[in-house]
Amino acid sequence: MAELAVTVPDGVGLHARPAAIFVQAAARAPADVTVGRPGGEQVNAKSILAVLALDVGGGEEIVLRAVGNGADQALAAVEKAILEPDAAYG
Amino acid sequence: MSAPVPGDAAADRLAAMPVCAPVAGRVVAMVEVPDLAFSTAIVGPGLAVDPIRVPGTAVSPIAGRIANLHPHAFVIVAADGRGVLVHLGIDTVQLKGAGFELLIQEGDAVDVGTDVARWNPADVEAGGRSPICPVVALDAGADAVSDPEPVGRWLTAGDRLFTWA
Repeated sequence: MAELAVTVPDGVGLHARPAAIFVQAAARAPADVTVGRPGGEQVNAKSILAVLALDVGGGEEIVLRAVGNGADQALAAVEKAILEPDAAYG
Repeated sequence: MSAPVPGDAAADRLAAMPVCAPVAGRVVAMVEVPDLAFSTAIVGPGLAVDPIRVPGTAVSPIAGRIANLHPHAFVIVAADGRGVLVHLGIDTVQLKGAGFELLIQEGDAVDVGTDVARWNPADVEAGGRSPICPVVALDAGADAVSDPEPVGRWLTAGDRLFTWA
């Protein structure tokens, strides 16, 4: 299992647009990817519903976990989607 | 509407669910929503409503529970686990709640048509933002949206917008 803590940039947090970009990056990965607050329950990072319900605000720290094929690459891709969501639009 | 595939447990389990207009206004195709996250359907498939420019109340498009509530956006999860996102205007997160009055709390049970938030689409537009309201089927494929109301049709809040097949 790979694990990575990421601080969500100040601003809106993981809501509509940033959440969708985050979920899209997670969904592309062959590994299972989950997300949660430090010490909290992990939810499926490939589910937009689960990520919206997690309600992560700007400036909050979250913990990403990935299990399976390409776990490290999955976390790197998801971290990039969090830190540079606009890059998803090229 | 596509017929359920025999033996497909998911299709057998989930009944067709009407998803209703959260606001009164004109039906707009998702591709016309002026936000790439919605127009490219990366948030999910659905339909949008361009609201009448008068003070109004946004209502729940389905029956369920409020899973996530912000002044400008909310998610309702039906008893079968399907979730619908309603976003009141584009980039309205920037308003930080100004101009929105929540009438309900996260976790509350709602029916179709339950009042969720008061707002004024005319004020949103006057502030330089689009008041268009995307209504999105979450974690769904494009085929989730069946029998959509035609683009341009005027709906009252609570009228069926599309059916989640």
